[in-house]
Amino acid sequence: MKLKVCGMKYQDNIAQVAALQPDYLGFIFYKKTPRHFDTKIPELPENIKKVGVFVNEEVGTIIQKVNEFKLDAVQLHGEESPYFCSILQSTTLLSRPIELIKVFSVLDGFNFEILEAFENVCDYFLFDTKGKLPGGNGYQFDWSLLNHYPSTKPFFLSGGIGLDQVDEIKQFKASEASKYCYAIDVNSKFEKEPGLKNISALKEFINKLSDKKMQNYNVDDKGYYGEFGGAFIPEMLYPNVEELRQNYLKIMAEPDFQKQFDQLLKDYVGRPSPLYFAKRLSEKYNTKIYLKREDLNHTGAHKINNTIGQILMAKRLGKTRIIAETGAGQHGVATATVCALMGLECIVYMGEIDIARQAPNVARMKMLGATVVPALSGSRTLKDATNEAIRDWINNPVNTHYIIGSAIGPHPYPDMVTRFQAVISEEIKTQLKTHEGRENPDYVVACIGGGSNAAGTYYHYLHEEDVNIIAVEAAGLGVDSGESAATSVLGKEGIIHGCKTLLMQTKDGQITEPYSISAGLDYPGVGPMHAHLCKTGRAEFMAITDDDAMKAGLELCKLEGIIPAIESSHALAIFKHKTFKPDDVVVMSLSGRGDKDLQNYIEYFKI
Amino acid sequence: MNRIQKKLQEDKKLLSIYFTAGYPHLNDTVSIIQDLEKNGVDMIEIGLPFSDPLADGPTIQDSSTAALKNGMTTEVLFSQLKDIRKTVSIPLIIMGYFNPVYQYGVEAFCKKCQELGIDGLILPDLPVDVYQEKYQAIFEKYGLVNVFLITPQTSEERIRYIDAVSNGFIYMVSTASVTGSQSGFGDVQTEYFERISNMNLKNPQIVGFGISDNKTFTTATTYTKGAIIGSAFIKHLTSTGTKHIGDFVKKVIS
Repeated sequence: MKLKVCGMKYQDNIAQVAALQPDYLGFIFYKKTPRHFDTKIPELPENIKKVGVFVNEEVGTIIQKVNEFKLDAVQLHGEESPYFCSILQSTTLLSRPIELIKVFSVLDGFNFEILEAFENVCDYFLFDTKGKLPGGNGYQFDWSLLNHYPSTKPFFLSGGIGLDQVDEIKQFKASEASKYCYAIDVNSKFEKEPGLKNISALKEFINKLSDKKMQNYNVDDKGYYGEFGGAFIPEMLYPNVEELRQNYLKIMAEPDFQKQFDQLLKDYVGRPSPLYFAKRLSEKYNTKIYLKREDLNHTGAHKINNTIGQILMAKRLGKTRIIAETGAGQHGVATATVCALMGLECIVYMGEIDIARQAPNVARMKMLGATVVPALSGSRTLKDATNEAIRDWINNPVNTHYIIGSAIGPHPYPDMVTRFQAVISEEIKTQLKTHEGRENPDYVVACIGGGSNAAGTYYHYLHEEDVNIIAVEAAGLGVDSGESAATSVLGKEGIIHGCKTLLMQTKDGQITEPYSISAGLDYPGVGPMHAHLCKTGRAEFMAITDDDAMKAGLELCKLEGIIPAIESSHALAIFKHKTFKPDDVVVMSLSGRGDKDLQNYIEYFKI
Repeated sequence: MNRIQKKLQEDKKLLSIYFTAGYPHLNDTVSIIQDLEKNGVDMIEIGLPFSDPLADGPTIQDSSTAALKNGMTTEVLFSQLKDIRKTVSIPLIIMGYFNPVYQYGVEAFCKKCQELGIDGLILPDLPVDVYQEKYQAIFEKYGLVNVFLITPQTSEERIRYIDAVSNGFIYMVSTASVTGSQSGFGDVQTEYFERISNMNLKNPQIVGFGISDNKTFTTATTYTKGAIIGSAFIKHLTSTGTKHIGDFVKKVIS
């Protein structure tokens, strides 16, 4: 079924709606509506048809508008006669052929006999709700009346259709009454104000009505998520990566491995981490918010789930030396911790600049017995630390395992890290069942840099159609400020650190420096799984600025007595920008605790 | 026949030199190439600088960073090479990382290379299987040789696969390392060179990584067709500038 979005008014908003690829966009040329269109239509993709909506307008005016705005269709919303329609259909004054849509208003009953006179003078019928105004009344008519539709002419279904009607539309689509239903027409239920469409609501509507079968969001045999992923590595790394690729699933499936992994997560990390109903936060935003308390894990974040898994993997592969990269130091600490636990040598690469700004974590790593090596090249931050770790691995191909801290890198890393982090969503399912009597929330939300906590939070929900996925990126000083890490907006398909994904780069393919107040989100790419979720529309991506994140972090302190990591604060900030329904269940990963960020909070709020 | 293939048939050990385009100065590219040829170098790898060169050590990374800072881009390099075939006849290879090529468009890049008289590409992070599946036909359409790397850890089976897909030479990485990180060869390398030599591959091998002077050049080419010098030449440019290229080459092949 086609989609028409009607009542377009504002330039930027028109472009945003057009990006969602509706089949028709409606522009109302009727002065008595607040959605009256009186500006220019921006350049639109050719496959979107522009519809001019008129109410008892003169033929000359309609012709003039069609020619001026290059309209593809005319929708007559008043008491236009069949004769009027026939004039429009036969006039030679139109510069282009048009589709003619005649509207009929329906409420409790409808006399279908009146359609007959219009059969030969228009292309489509449109059934709207009868109300005080000609259209835009915002409520539905009784669709079952269409069971008596006597014609074979395709029609548009209109009148008060919004997100709440998704189930009804699905039922309608399955019923006989929809046999000739050609398109759904939406307007006022997707508006922030008259004429200004709500993009995220429209996106959600389109996704929910999509006929597409759920795609596969897991990695395929060759290491790809759709078009993203793979292993773009120099030959020097091939033996290491190949050894891992051939063994990781086998090892993870060993009962001994699973037992040891589960045991350590329980006794050492402190899992399961609680799923906490944030009562006061929920009251404030009038919805049901649950926080998955990864901040309560040993070492203070989700990172340890992955390092425990990988150190056990390294042991089984016979490796004696561990290397890792770290940005803020969280992954470095989590790696140094498990190396101490297992008695393995540990070398952590960290950008020189990060070493200076994250002194406590550097000290932690040293206390845990790790050697911290400064990355002196490039921007001397996370990206360069990753380069240095990869170089170390090239130089030490036999005895060394590289514990990558995020869901990035060459295959099988993104998948392996995701599987180790998947314990997060596995636990949410069980815990939510206890709290709410159901395993699936309406939304799962996580912040995303490379995306390991997000990957773990989404994993068991990827193929659950009723669960909406929200990924929260760091907008830094603002997406358009030049100081941002919002990869889904600013990034383009390319190759970074061994995989094809979305990444921030120059036109020339040089990787650019991201910016975020949060060191953990300060990465120029996202994991390939997330690139795929973004590209397919499975996940909604939101970008949160430094300011909004910091305020949301402080708000959680005051409302719930929890000091979150600044990374997690980005996720918390979405409640200011997106409205949830009172009975929506929103599960959010609170990926880390804020102790490491105290200095940042102190400086920001002048505490 | 491609210039690389022709050159490989010559009865001599080949010296190939790598330098980073745009370093030390943006517009040094053409004169460096001309000087290298004049002084008897057999083949040149023109480095297209990349922001994150994973397989390179600090010397080449620093030269890449400097080149980018100098304003080097794919377009600039192509415009510098516009008339290169009017003065230079030895094989020219562009060596870089895959992302800049991917962003330019692989086919557009290859087409441009053909127009300019570039003979081959070395893209260390474009894996052989992806190349074979997606890009081999394009490279061949534009008459380009693609060169793959092997290392002491590469399995025999994989070497055979790479040999089958290659149509010029095999870039034999002397040791498990990034560029510019070692000096001199030991028994381990000699054994490795001999092992590969005994495989009787259809493509000749040229050794890279760790060659810096006449001694290492001689050792490396005992079992192989030639050797590539990169970091040592960049270091020479850094310390003496572009005026004494002949001195460097003479020291290697005297």
